[in-house]
Amino acid sequence: MRAKALMAAILVALGLPTSALAHAVLLEGVPTYGATLAKAPRSVQLQFDQTVDAFPDAVDVRSSSGKVVTAGPAHTTDSGRRVIVPLHRVPKGAYTVRWQVTSNEGHIVSGVYTFGVRVKPPPPTEAYGARGPTKLEYVAKWGYFVGLALLVGGLAFRLLVLRGRALPPALERRFYWVVGVGVVGSIELGILVFILRAADAFQLPLGQLIYGDLSPLARGTRFGTAFIAMTLGFSVVAAFLFLAWLTDRTILLWPAFFLGLALCSGLSLSGHDAVDVGSSWTSELADYVHLVAASFWVGGLVMLAFVVWPTSPSLRRDAFHRFSQLAAVLVGAMVLAGAYLAYDRLPKVSDLWQERYGQVLLIKSSLVVLALSWGALHHFVVAPALERGRGVGSRAVARSLRGESAVAIAILLVVAVLVDANPPAKPAQRPTQAVVTHK
Amino acid sequence: MEPPAEVVHWMFGVGFVFLGLCLLAEAIVGPTVWRRRAWRGYLWPGIAFLMGVLMWPVMVFFTSSAIHMLAHSAWAQTLMLVGAAQLGLVRGKLHNQLWELTLPLALVVSGLAFLIHEQNPWLFSRSAFLHHALGWTLLAGAVVCLGRAVRPRSPAFNAGFAVMIVTVAALLFCDRNIAPIFGHLSPLAGAR
Repeated sequence: MRAKALMAAILVALGLPTSALAHAVLLEGVPTYGATLAKAPRSVQLQFDQTVDAFPDAVDVRSSSGKVVTAGPAHTTDSGRRVIVPLHRVPKGAYTVRWQVTSNEGHIVSGVYTFGVRVKPPPPTEAYGARGPTKLEYVAKWGYFVGLALLVGGLAFRLLVLRGRALPPALERRFYWVVGVGVVGSIELGILVFILRAADAFQLPLGQLIYGDLSPLARGTRFGTAFIAMTLGFSVVAAFLFLAWLTDRTILLWPAFFLGLALCSGLSLSGHDAVDVGSSWTSELADYVHLVAASFWVGGLVMLAFVVWPTSPSLRRDAFHRFSQLAAVLVGAMVLAGAYLAYDRLPKVSDLWQERYGQVLLIKSSLVVLALSWGALHHFVVAPALERGRGVGSRAVARSLRGESAVAIAILLVVAVLVDANPPAKPAQRPTQAVVTHK
Repeated sequence: MEPPAEVVHWMFGVGFVFLGLCLLAEAIVGPTVWRRRAWRGYLWPGIAFLMGVLMWPVMVFFTSSAIHMLAHSAWAQTLMLVGAAQLGLVRGKLHNQLWELTLPLALVVSGLAFLIHEQNPWLFSRSAFLHHALGWTLLAGAVVCLGRAVRPRSPAFNAGFAVMIVTVAALLFCDRNIAPIFGHLSPLAGAR
């Protein structure tokens, strides 16, 4: 049965699309993506590596308010390799370029990027016409957070809570399954989230999106940089985990753990707390602490409920006691960092019920209170009972642990919605006296 | 600043040459002699696994299209999977011989993908020719590997697998970004 499940998983993994090299590739755009120009450009020029067919409306250039600024149809030069569209004299502002040409083998190749005239342009994800996030994106992000929690929390549990203990083979096997699912999920869902974000920016059906040029998104945004670093990092983490399993050397789990911890910062350095107006290193740090503590807590709970409890009755009491101590610290860090972030992001208390961000935060907080109450029950009632030698074989405790894990995983779904919600804008700072005098 | 795509293909060609030579040596002397040194058993699966890990930078840095990224991520995963499964079997961590099927499965998926994607005829350009050639080579290799999974000690199947890998390496070394094949290059592909 297990072999069949494995084979099915492998088939799904191998069923992912492969190959493609022959379609046209955009070598250079003038203005290039993310450029801030001192003078308004008179045209947009796209240089491809091979001949392309361009319809008159192949290149669409719009201002941030959606006004079309092209002054004529697109045409090709350089034996069909360069597409040019003239522009009106454009004022200061940010502009979005959407292009779509037919490659020589018949594929439609497309892309989107932004440039600014005397202003810094927004990233392609905030280009004019970009939409999202979709429900599928929320689900993908949820899976991504769960994967991250299983990986980082699972490793933390194995290395910190179960340190120095002789572990039965069944427990080790299940541990590697859990963290293996975590790392593979983090890689696969990370790629999916990236593609879905690109779909939001491109606003194209999937059939055309697969030939979309993702370079502006990958290179021109913090999100893209985080995607590159995290995909590379998680592939190395996967290699360390595999080698630890293959050679039975627990020491190889440490680099995997530290690398996983470091990779969590990718989310903090590319999220609201890093890119929004008013963000600072303290907001980034608080977000990182919040994320890491939550990952330890959720992953640890899953390990306790689904790995230790079913496979090793002799370790239950000890593991429960140790995790209970660690969880108290984690919850403290999580709540403090979360409270700071809420204070930082919500200028007014009424934003909690008036703004969408605040409403989602309220739902998340309610679930957190439920999970913490459940955890408190475990900490103050179940742990002492286990210490006295009661309830070690109890099914009620096992069910209760699974219940708390389920609530913790449900919180991650709300988090997936929260990270894509925009916090309310902070009130503009009053100009200083010096500026007023100058004006 | 990434290297040209053809250079990356040549680098992976080097990996496949090593892989193929190890397999060829094992096929010539037989598994018993080859594995007198225990580490030799880990050699080709280890190279395959490492090549899988090294494929990830190609995936994330060459982002000219979504399908290009997905293709390289799939190849990275299949290489890591095949290497990991073989290492697990050699080490004795995996016991079920069904794991041997990961190899033909990976080759089938990769080969079909080459063939399905390539819309142009064989002589359109060198890259089109290589896509066709690689696709069919991998499919033929999958049949050989299926036989190898059933009869793992067969010299014919083992030699066939090794030759297939060396052929893949040779095809990768033939790659150029825009180049003719047997004197043919379509104007659409860049001929001036």
